[in-house]
Amino acid sequence: MAARQKSARRQQLESTLLYPLDWLEERSGLVGATKYFLFRNVPGDVNWMQTLGSATLTAFLVQALTGVILAMYYQPDPNSAYESVQHITNDVTLGWLVRGMHRWGASIFIILMFFHMARVFLFGAYKYPRELNWIVGALLLPTALLEGFSGYLLPYDQTAYWATVVGININGTAPFLGPFLASFLRGGAEIGPDTLARFYSLHMLLLPGAILGLIGLHLYLVVRLGVSSPPWSGDAAGRERDEPPQVPGSGLVNPAPRGVTKRPD
Amino acid sequence: MASRRLEERRIAFQRYKDDVKREGKPFYPYAMFHDTVMSLVVVGVIVGLAFVWHYTDLLGPSLADKADPGTTSFVPRPDWYFYFLFYLLRIFKWPNSVILGTVGIPTILLMVLIAMPFIDLRAERRLLRRPIAIVAAVLVALSMGVLTYKGATAKEPLGAELRAAVPGWVKQEKLPSNAVPGANLFATSGCLNCHTYLGSGGSQLGAPNLSAEGAKNKGITFQISHLKCPSCVNKGSPMPSFADFGEANLRKLAIFLEASKGPK
Repeated sequence: MAARQKSARRQQLESTLLYPLDWLEERSGLVGATKYFLFRNVPGDVNWMQTLGSATLTAFLVQALTGVILAMYYQPDPNSAYESVQHITNDVTLGWLVRGMHRWGASIFIILMFFHMARVFLFGAYKYPRELNWIVGALLLPTALLEGFSGYLLPYDQTAYWATVVGININGTAPFLGPFLASFLRGGAEIGPDTLARFYSLHMLLLPGAILGLIGLHLYLVVRLGVSSPPWSGDAAGRERDEPPQVPGSGLVNPAPRGVTKRPD
Repeated sequence: MASRRLEERRIAFQRYKDDVKREGKPFYPYAMFHDTVMSLVVVGVIVGLAFVWHYTDLLGPSLADKADPGTTSFVPRPDWYFYFLFYLLRIFKWPNSVILGTVGIPTILLMVLIAMPFIDLRAERRLLRRPIAIVAAVLVALSMGVLTYKGATAKEPLGAELRAAVPGWVKQEKLPSNAVPGANLFATSGCLNCHTYLGSGGSQLGAPNLSAEGAKNKGITFQISHLKCPSCVNKGSPMPSFADFGEANLRKLAIFLEASKGPK
């Protein structure tokens, strides 16, 4: 049905509509980068287990979004922190939902991270040339656990307070750096206003920044190196063969090459 | 010059890239569809948990009481993903090996985790041909699961139950009457969340058994200054400061501890 030859009027309309994108592309290359990201090929046999990474990212984005909202109401001061959390839970419209999502999103984030790691391990996907990406992921794990630890104090209830007292003291038992780390976290000899402000700053500036940076690097490497086929797949990309590779586009299980997969007009 | 192994890996990766180019499918819409479905499930579960937390008691209280540094009873319980560490500290005892539980094992695990691609250098990815990796992974996962479960189900003794045990302590330890107020305070102040005394208590965080603490004859003054700032007196101690209890209460506790010369 589509006209084979576009009319001059249609061409003019299209180029007018696409002008902002062309403008952006010419000056940044971002349109091409996005197209590359979306239309790059992945192995044909990727499975549901390989959605755990993006699921972890989603959980992090939920944390970031709900965290920004909570920070609008939370007061990092020992005298008012507890009351501000009560205020969020009881008075602020849907505050209970945002706080609940942040509280439980943290657990989901950590669980998904472990599952994602288990998947990568089982697939042997940390092997050449993806070693560096495994290391970035392995660094994300303790960073995320620290994020959980620093957030645990913020409601400033009994559980939070005493878990943090003991947690900081455990840090203090580490050889060499331990005592310095403990007194840095406390912001002095005792847990007090400085401790809470410190944990708040770590929890919403330093650690999320570190996580975001590491995730960026992680994703860059995923896109650059590609994802692995499941190791048990008969059609695994990169499998060893006796016969020479098949000719592209020669069968049903052997779809046409990449150039043809662009969006149809 | 690249070794033969490296050369083989490069060829294999080139073959992977060629295969993906030729036989693969575009990320959008195929893989992205799966990712989107999974992400929606994740958001749904998070929202669901928030609802369950708000409308039922299944997931515990929304907030405990306000933090009180001068409290007389507390349960030092971390979030669930630290339970494996939390329970590890029950296994290692202060002061000889607690460092293994707090720092040693977690650090070693993390270092092994980071170094994984350099420990396992073979190109083999099939599960059945990686028996060592699979057995090691299953063992680590199992032990972390068991420790998490044990940490989750660990019971802290209640102050009321412990207070009922005080007459028994007086009898067994032959405590003088001036040590009884301290014994009651000791039973109800959360000391036994970590320490043990004649079989009661939590044995948490490597805290020692105090049944025969007085036999060391460290003196009332030492006990008081230790309670005020454990790590000042006992370098590296993870025990929190109890200075907020006040001088009078600390003296009672110190008298009780010094009177505890072990069961007779």
